[in-house]
This record gives sequence, C-alpha cells and structure tokens, in this order.
Amino acid sequence: MAKILVVDDEEHIRLLYSEELKEEGYDVITAEGGHLLLERIEQDKPDLVVLDIKMVDYNGLDLLQDIRNKFYDLPVILSTAYDTFKEDMKSIAADFYVVKSFDLTELKKKIQMALEASGAS
Amino acid sequence: MLAYEENPGKVERADLVVGLSSHNNVGNVALPTEQAARGLLDHFGEKNSVIINCDNHSEDGTKEAFLQTPTEIPKIYLSTPPGMVGRGYNLRNLTAKAVELQAQAVIAVDAGVESITPMWIKNLGEPIFAGFGFVAPLYVRHKYDDAVANGIVYPMTRALYGRRVRQPIGGDFAFAGEMAATYLDHPSWNDRVAQFGVDIWMTTLAMCQGVPICQAFVGKPRVSQHDGNIVASDPTFSQVVGTVLDLMVHFQNVWERVKWSKPTAIYGFGMGEVETPAPIEIAQDELHQAFVEGFAQYKDLWETFLPSNINNKLGEIKELPQAQFSFPSEIWARLLYSCSVAYKNEVVEREALLKSLLPLFVGKTLSLIRKTERMSIQQAEEYIENECMIFEEAKPYLLSQWLNDH
Repeated sequence: MAKILVVDDEEHIRLLYSEELKEEGYDVITAEGGHLLLERIEQDKPDLVVLDIKMVDYNGLDLLQDIRNKFYDLPVILSTAYDTFKEDMKSIAADFYVVKSFDLTELKKKIQMALEASGAS
Repeated sequence: MLAYEENPGKVERADLVVGLSSHNNVGNVALPTEQAARGLLDHFGEKNSVIINCDNHSEDGTKEAFLQTPTEIPKIYLSTPPGMVGRGYNLRNLTAKAVELQAQAVIAVDAGVESITPMWIKNLGEPIFAGFGFVAPLYVRHKYDDAVANGIVYPMTRALYGRRVRQPIGGDFAFAGEMAATYLDHPSWNDRVAQFGVDIWMTTLAMCQGVPICQAFVGKPRVSQHDGNIVASDPTFSQVVGTVLDLMVHFQNVWERVKWSKPTAIYGFGMGEVETPAPIEIAQDELHQAFVEGFAQYKDLWETFLPSNINNKLGEIKELPQAQFSFPSEIWARLLYSCSVAYKNEVVEREALLKSLLPLFVGKTLSLIRKTERMSIQQAEEYIENECMIFEEAKPYLLSQWLNDH
C-alpha cells in the first residue's frame, strides 16, 4: 500500500484528500505546513507528496526545491487553486500539478501515474 | 585521437576542469576563456582548476588566441590530428584529460557561445560538488529555438528513459569525474557520436547510468556563433537523431521497463531579472515547401517502412493548404516510433531513413510554429509538455511494434 503525505494548510482540504485517497487504498498522512517537512518525510518515508503551493507561512515551490534536493526521486504533485505558478520555473521540478477541486479524479490519475513512474505502485 | 597537447603550466592534477570545444573559433574563444576564468576564481577559488581548449586542429589561430588570453587560471590546449573534425572528438579528448588529471568535475562549454557569464560556471559546476552526476543546462530560449530538441530529442528521450531533461542537447553541461570513465569506455561510441551526436549521447548515458541529474538555470539566453537556421540541416540532423536511435537499440533493456517520466532537480534560481531571447524570423512558406517537396523524393521510401495508416495520414497532411497546416502530435509520435523500429530492423538503409525523416520533421516544426505563434514562451512550453505526454501515452505502441516486428 503506497503511503501519501498531503501537505496543505487548509483543514478541509486535508480531510477531503485523506478520506478520498484512503478509499482508493492508499495509506494517507497529513501535515499542516512546511514546518519540519523534510524531517517528517525522513521519518515517515512517504511514497508520494501532495503539496499545496500557497500556504500561509510557506511557499510550496521553495519546499519543492528543498524536497527535490534532499529526496531526489520522491514524487511530488503540486496542488493549487490557480495556475499562475507555472510562470515560476521552479515548478518544473514537480512530477505533476493539479488544480484543487472537490472532484479528485485528476489527482487520483496523477498519483497513479507518478507512482507507476517511480515503481512504487 | 589526441595528436597535440600544450600544457605551459605543467598542470598534473585538477579538481575542476572547464573545457572549451572549438573549431576555428579565433574570434570567439577569448570571451568564454575570460568568463570561465572569472567564474572559477569567483566561485571555486578554493579548488584546483584548469581551463582546457579541446580543438579540432583549427588553422585560424584559435590555439594562440586561447593561450594568449590572460587568466589567473592555468590553461591546457589539446587538439585532434589534422583533418579529424568533430565536436565528439573534442569532448572525448577533454574527458580523457580530465581522467588523467583526476578531476572531480568537468564543465563543458562551446567556444562559440557568446552569452556565457561567470554564473554559468557556478551553476553548472556547483551541483556536481553537491553530489549530482550530470548537470544539463536550462536556458531561456525562444519558443522556436532548438527545434530538433523540441520536436524529437526531448519528447523521445523523456518517454524512453523516463527523465525530464528539457534541453538534452544544450551544448553546455557538466559531469562528475566518475562519469568520465563511463564515457571513455562505453561501447556505444560511434562516428555519429564523434560529431554532433555527442551531446545526446552524454545525456542519455547519464540517464541510463542512473546518476542523479540536475538542470542548471543559467539565466541568459544561449547565443552562439553557430545560431542560424532553426531546423538543423544534414548531416547534423542525422548525427543527432541517428544517435537517439542507436542508443534506443543499445539501451532497450533500460527503456522497455520505463513507464511515464520523472522530473529532475533544478538549480540556480534567484538570479534576478532574466533576459528575453531575441525574436526569430521564420519563413513558414519555405518550411511548407520543403515538407511538400519531401514527398517527391521520399514517398516511396516511407511506404517501405511506415505503416499504411501513417502514410495515408501524411498524404492528407500534404493536401492541407499552408494556412490550415497541422501535423497531429499523435501521428508524429507513432511515426517516430515506427521509424525507430525500422531503424533497429534495418528495413531500409539507416542513413537513407534518417535523411527521409528530415522533411517530415520540417513539417512537424511548421505545425508547432503555427500552433504556438500567438503563445508566450511559457504557454509554448506547456504545449511542448503536452506533446511529451502524447509520446509517453504512445509508448505501448512502440513496445508492441519493437518487440513484435523482427
């Protein structure tokens, strides 16, 4: 069972993602923000991270850089309400991005693809 | 293939090597030499460094221009024998010298590059000392620049080996000392690699070795003495694309297991304002004409190795007026995959197949230009990313053809 870490500062998003992804058979853990995120990844060893781009205290694209530098092949899917982040070239270090929605079909598809690419599915 | 060496500083060891590949670059070589020296002093002052000019026995005074450029960093000049010309030979000589010097990191830059700054040296070199095995460049490029990378090499390499390296034939890159031995000993070296196939060969070997790969953002657009026609002409086209196909044959056991693709780490942000690349003028009617004329020359050949549905589709595309010209990406991906199978099986003579691919590539380039002409650079990048997904989605087609067609 693949373990997914959902990082988002909005509680209802964490709950929504958590419930729906658990129904898909994933082991889901959550984090409120970027504080000690690298240590959390080191400790919990998720197979994939779903990362909010705009959090109150953290820039998800900076966190993506930190994750990529320390955990080279860990799949990261950016989750965002807006697609203006694509103007920032840092975003190309993500495996995929999805626009936040209550319909998680696209997110589930991208999770499956990213896990297949990393051989963790 | 090394015929001549001049090592006035008698350098015997170096931690970091910057190599400048040249052929008749007397007017250009001083600039990258100066910029490399500044980059090495400013950012790698604690390292033992050397600048090497690896040259194709230039007869225009490149050697003298290089050695006479004043720098605080020692310099070495290497050359192939007279008449042995090829960028790959230069990089091979550089690699061999780097092994001899026991270098930990090698940065390779084209001596014709006019936009190099000391930051290029920093951003290409630092990731190697941070543990990466290969560093590819990430330039800001005009959306039509480097059409061979956009239309063939990037989508093919990404779909095959599962690693997203946006500019895999960028021309300027870095690799770790450990990779140098791999490059020197690898059995896939051939005549195409010795020429312009060398860039994709080095990138692909790094991917297949599984070393950590990084893309270094260098800020300034790449401006080179060699810039000109956006669609590479032969023999450069055949050398690059032929190397992609040769490597497909060699590394089947690697790519057949790869599904989808993964990003690479990015290095070098926070460089302030990024320059916008210069506009590129495109003669669309000439591209259209070259595509249409390709039918007269190659239609019979295409029918011997492309499936009939693709040949039929090509016929439909040919009939489109230029104002409505479009080359669907799904057809393009399957066409390239069918070409690669025919290349592997030597259904037709390989050099002839590569030559016949050029007008089709010109047509695909025209289609890409038309689709993206009102787009910003970023929007065009997204379009190319979507094209790459089409290649990844079509990979089962490649596998079925490759494994079943003998």
